[in-house]
Amino acid sequence: MSDKNVPLSDNALKVAKRIGSLRDFLEFLKENNQCINWSEEVYPEPDIRNVAVAAGRDSMNGPAVIFDNIAGYPGKKMVLGVHGSFTNIALLLGHPKGTTIKELFYDIISRWGADKPLLDFIEQDKAPVNENRLTNNFNLYELLPLYRINEYDGGFYIGKANVVSRDPRDPDNFGKQNVGIYRIQVQAPGEFTLLSVPAHDMGRHIMAAEQEGVPLRISVMLGNHPAMCMFAATPIGYDESEFAYASQMMGSPMRLTKSGNGMDILADSEMVIEAELMNGVRSLEGPFGEFPGSYSGVRKIPRFKVTAISHRNDPIFENIYIGRGWTEHDTLIGLNTSAPIYAALIKDFPEVVAVNALYQHGLTGIISVKNRFAGFAKSVAMRALGTPHGTMYLKNLIMVDDDVDPFDLNEVMWALSTRTRAEDTIVIPNMPMIPIDPAAEVAGKGHRLIIDATSFMPPDKLGGDSKIVTPPAGPEIDAIAKVIQLLQNGGKS
Amino acid sequence: MSTCPRCQAEENKIRTEHKGLNAKGELVWTIFNCESCAFTWRDSEPASTIDYNLREEFFRVDPEKPYPVIMPPAQYK
Ligand SMILES: [Zn+2]
Repeated sequence: MSDKNVPLSDNALKVAKRIGSLRDFLEFLKENNQCINWSEEVYPEPDIRNVAVAAGRDSMNGPAVIFDNIAGYPGKKMVLGVHGSFTNIALLLGHPKGTTIKELFYDIISRWGADKPLLDFIEQDKAPVNENRLTNNFNLYELLPLYRINEYDGGFYIGKANVVSRDPRDPDNFGKQNVGIYRIQVQAPGEFTLLSVPAHDMGRHIMAAEQEGVPLRISVMLGNHPAMCMFAATPIGYDESEFAYASQMMGSPMRLTKSGNGMDILADSEMVIEAELMNGVRSLEGPFGEFPGSYSGVRKIPRFKVTAISHRNDPIFENIYIGRGWTEHDTLIGLNTSAPIYAALIKDFPEVVAVNALYQHGLTGIISVKNRFAGFAKSVAMRALGTPHGTMYLKNLIMVDDDVDPFDLNEVMWALSTRTRAEDTIVIPNMPMIPIDPAAEVAGKGHRLIIDATSFMPPDKLGGDSKIVTPPAGPEIDAIAKVIQLLQNGGKS
Repeated sequence: MSTCPRCQAEENKIRTEHKGLNAKGELVWTIFNCESCAFTWRDSEPASTIDYNLREEFFRVDPEKPYPVIMPPAQYK
């Protein structure tokens, strides 16, 4: 994506080396007071949902929550919010608590361009995921503490699985193996539906299998290395491996092994469900509370049959709360949504400083840019709408100056208050839009909004009579802010 | 649970999926699935989710309705 790759810091490498699995990361989070156990008894509904929403309120510092006392599931463990706060993500990337979102944004960008995939292959019988193997009498309702995520969901969803599939026409091609996150609704003890569309790699694999009448086998990985969940959702090319990409981003090897049905899987995942597409079958699925904070409708979608299950001893079921924001979904994908838009823009416009597309997968974006001349920010905004992600998602764009941190909403609101004229607002009618946007007048089509909140430049005559206060800013002030935080926390970060 | 909370399908369409027990082996809840509308529910859920009359009407499902089909398999024939 970019050739800006810079070596990782010592601490980033140290953390990456230490974390090989979800369990390692939970332990690390605990040491940093970013993971708690909820040991009071909870009912699957509505208690888990209630705790998830409350824990998710603090997008900056909220902890992961482990449930270890779920009624009807004695001895079973479930975890939510592993990627639920920017501090958890900072820790994963080797940063201290108190790291700003903008710092994380630049870190992600600086990691791009590493071209050495770091993959270790280990024997199936030495892989922890194979400590237990089931080949019949599958009961997902028993194995996993399943529950209804939002009250009107059509059933019990697995929302944070990394699903591995291979092109059924070219099953030996490692590069054409896809790892993606798709929502899964359990439909029977040994069957589930999986939502994909033709544009997804998985969608292509499903269509290819049904067209050719060949089997499509998949491996559903649950409770994975935290980098996998973070980076499997990043848009990369069709023949790039997500495993390789995640290992490059972390700067440390991913341990892989083979699943029973021939996929490459993470050797240290909590559970891997092997399944096969039921060719030609479509089942009612949904509604499901999705990331815009609204329910998607009921549809008929492809269905899979479980063929085997491998799991570690005492597996931990990792799930996600998703719905009306802020939720873990926003933290999980936000930076990886923002970074590729930035990368596309700086090719033509080096004046672009940062892109914040954290909100609802980028339905609202804030771009910080140094005006080259009057009206320049509007041109940059138009370009952003033409990026791959922008084409469908960037619905509202706020353009701010280079002296405004787009990740700091107080600063963005200041820019809106002092630098926006109503006529610097552009509405572009009848543009493409994601079908699940609840504000679309017709699903899939709607209007775009650009608000230019950058300052006036000649030949603009406005603003000549006022001068902006220049408060002290820069690395020195950032450092002082961290010292203050440290003092406030009694010397602990 | 005699009918489906979402589509009111009769008892013969309701499948018992799983019974959750506590550490002493006592029944805590039961999961059901409706073969007509594919709704899955647990009998310990709040009434607003599993009581047909308390659920928001918007979320009722009529299995006879032609819901959109994702990647319709018929296109290959
Ligand atoms: Zn029903």
